[in-house]
Amino acid sequence: MRILNNIKAIPFVQKYRYAVILISSLSFLGPLAFLPQLVGNDDLCGVLCMRRFYLYFPGMTFEDFFTHINVAFIGVIAFALILLTTFFYGRLWCSFLCPVGGLAELGSRMLNDRWKIEFRSLPQVQIRYGYFAVYLVLMPLLGISACTLCNFITIPRLIEALQGEYRGMVYIISSVGLVNLGLLFILGFFASKGRAYCQFLCPIGAADGLVNRLGAKFNFTHHIRVEKERCTGCNVCARACMCGAIKMVDRVAVVDQLSCMSCHDCVDVCDWNAIEWTPASRHKEPKRIKKHVQIFPDPNWQSINVHDKPKINIASKKISRLRLINGLIFSFFISFIAVTSVMAMV
Amino acid sequence: MRLFIQAQSIILQAIIVYFLIAGTLYANERHSDPDGCLSCHALKGLQFIDKEGLLRVSTIDESHYYSSLHGSVPCKDCHRKITHYPHEVENGYVDCAESCHVNEPSSGEAYTHKPIVEEFEKSAHGQGLIKDFAGGNRLKEELEEVNPSCRRCHANTAYIAEDQMEQFKTAFMHTETECGTCHQGDVWRDQFGGHILRRLVGSRWKKEGNNKMCVDCHADSERMTKVELEDPETKEKHKVDSRWINSTESYDRTLHSRILKTKIEAGASCMDCHAPTEQGKFRHNIYRDEDKRSATHLDNLAETCAQSGCHEFARAPLNAGFVETDLHDVDQLEIKSWLSLIDSERLESNWQRAFYIVGIVVIVFMFGAFIWLFTGIKAKKQSPILGGESFEKIMIGRKIRKKPKKKPVVKKKAASVVKPEVKVPPAIKPEVKAPSVVKPEVEAPPIVKSEVNDNSIEKAESNSDKGKPSI
Repeated sequence: MRILNNIKAIPFVQKYRYAVILISSLSFLGPLAFLPQLVGNDDLCGVLCMRRFYLYFPGMTFEDFFTHINVAFIGVIAFALILLTTFFYGRLWCSFLCPVGGLAELGSRMLNDRWKIEFRSLPQVQIRYGYFAVYLVLMPLLGISACTLCNFITIPRLIEALQGEYRGMVYIISSVGLVNLGLLFILGFFASKGRAYCQFLCPIGAADGLVNRLGAKFNFTHHIRVEKERCTGCNVCARACMCGAIKMVDRVAVVDQLSCMSCHDCVDVCDWNAIEWTPASRHKEPKRIKKHVQIFPDPNWQSINVHDKPKINIASKKISRLRLINGLIFSFFISFIAVTSVMAMV
Repeated sequence: MRLFIQAQSIILQAIIVYFLIAGTLYANERHSDPDGCLSCHALKGLQFIDKEGLLRVSTIDESHYYSSLHGSVPCKDCHRKITHYPHEVENGYVDCAESCHVNEPSSGEAYTHKPIVEEFEKSAHGQGLIKDFAGGNRLKEELEEVNPSCRRCHANTAYIAEDQMEQFKTAFMHTETECGTCHQGDVWRDQFGGHILRRLVGSRWKKEGNNKMCVDCHADSERMTKVELEDPETKEKHKVDSRWINSTESYDRTLHSRILKTKIEAGASCMDCHAPTEQGKFRHNIYRDEDKRSATHLDNLAETCAQSGCHEFARAPLNAGFVETDLHDVDQLEIKSWLSLIDSERLESNWQRAFYIVGIVVIVFMFGAFIWLFTGIKAKKQSPILGGESFEKIMIGRKIRKKPKKKPVVKKKAASVVKPEVKVPPAIKPEVKAPSVVKPEVEAPPIVKSEVNDNSIEKAESNSDKGKPSI
């Protein structure tokens, strides 16, 4: 009965989301796997791979890039569709459809909350894009396959292994498979809300997050936006957020659009309708001024916290450490590409 | 009489017209049997029992022969020793290296397979038969010879499948318009149009069909276990390992094969890596990996991977790691015995060491979560055991008052321990001393912890050895 009551207590949108994740994992993963089978695949690798074609090998030309695209062209199309929907509607693929992150999340939500690891307080943007840069640039050079830490192999293979297929068994009990399985447990089932892999290691999520941040700058796109006037600072949304995107700054919820998945979890939880998945309000200027009172008919939905921007004050000499790390990652990425491409030319 | 003569003439005319029509219909099928061999060999049931007691069928299926690559070549062009009927069986033997019936239009010289045969003789398959092909030794060759002969791969009949014959015919009808715009002259088209078209139409034009030729032998694991390789230096023969025996199966696990199976020609066939197209080579130059001439030798791998249209960046010396990717990974093979799964050699890599750390954490959490099922239902505190407090601090912005509470507890304990020893001096002194005693005890553990963590990170990161699964 306790479990039934718990299920009944889930908000409607979240019930819908869990159902969609279940349906998509039934259609993407074995034993049915009918979506991959449409292109003659039984897992998410090969033509369906969305994670390899953008790898950078030193001395690579555009021809090589196009062969990589040609090899995984269905994955590339899917990747492009994901990015396109992300721009307009937020990361719906990640939160509603992705069978790999979704299964880990569902598994995590079924376990109790005490025996878990909380990853949400880590500086996830820095970790994610640091790993993303290493993944794009350094791992191909070292000869580590992009598939080593890939959850898109691990979860289909794990399900194959549960069915008793030899290919899944062989993969799971190989040394790399064991590490991947361990990571699935630590970053999936035993992570609070189960999305730590998506936060830190998923390259699709990393690219998707950048597009999400870009889309949040526009007024007409659907993203998770906060109405600051309504926010009471009760921090329920920050606790409910599964990817640690909401941070309480000065008792106001601030959404980090690089990590937000638009899963709608915070919207269901908020009692004051202060957070919403919506385009920005049309009236930025007051619609009318009555007796010196400015009248805004629409709530002021903000996707990016405007007042959060640090004012540059050279005299104070305060440097944000996280911003410094961001800069280091970016400069490493760019300079590495420049240096290696020159070295490969010579 | 008149009627009879008229009827006769009409019948004659009809017959002539029939032959004319039939002649034009069959003119495109190029039968050439000037020596009349098929007058006997086309008979069905032309059989005899040879010296070894085998039933030998000498019947040549006309449709099969005509649809083969050499379908338009007269029999005597290859079976040269046969001059008159009846002939000896041994005279029928064929040598592929001899010069041919066809003149090459560019040079005017007789065409020959000799350079291909020379290349083939040097290769790993070089011990295979090149001469003396006849019906009599076909069975013997299939059963006894380890190395493939010319005809094993270039089986004349199977070269164009019968279901592709129609496609070939329609294509052949159009050679005049399609090839003829550049290559003028009927003679050239007659001689070479068929050669080229068959390759276009035939199954081996596709890489997957090309692989089938290799797989026919190399996938037969029983046959492959019998193979003994000769050491080039010591001349000792040794048995082959599982990597050799299951080479086709491990190839099927790679992306190269998987892409070909989804009908994308960007994948790599067996020949693409083992006998790449180079200038002046005829794709018969397959050597063993140890051989320095081999395209799959470590020194040549970069060049092989960097063939046009493939991984051209592999030429850059920075990509040494990429080139060394194992494409015949034995770890991906089907499990033959369950004991091999726990084989320590199979798991030996830095990933295994990383798993020890990850695995211990997983087991601890599994155990804890299981216990919590029974003990923790009524517990009020449900925040995560690791990192829960830092989440409260950083994300929620809540100040936690636990730490100041702890300090007095420690102090009291220390004070209670110290107090009975020192009774006389005033109460302030032991309080000052006590933290100085306690502090190192408190500070020591974090230092140890940080060292452990650093090591674990190093272990997890130094993983470039073995763990490269191919998909």
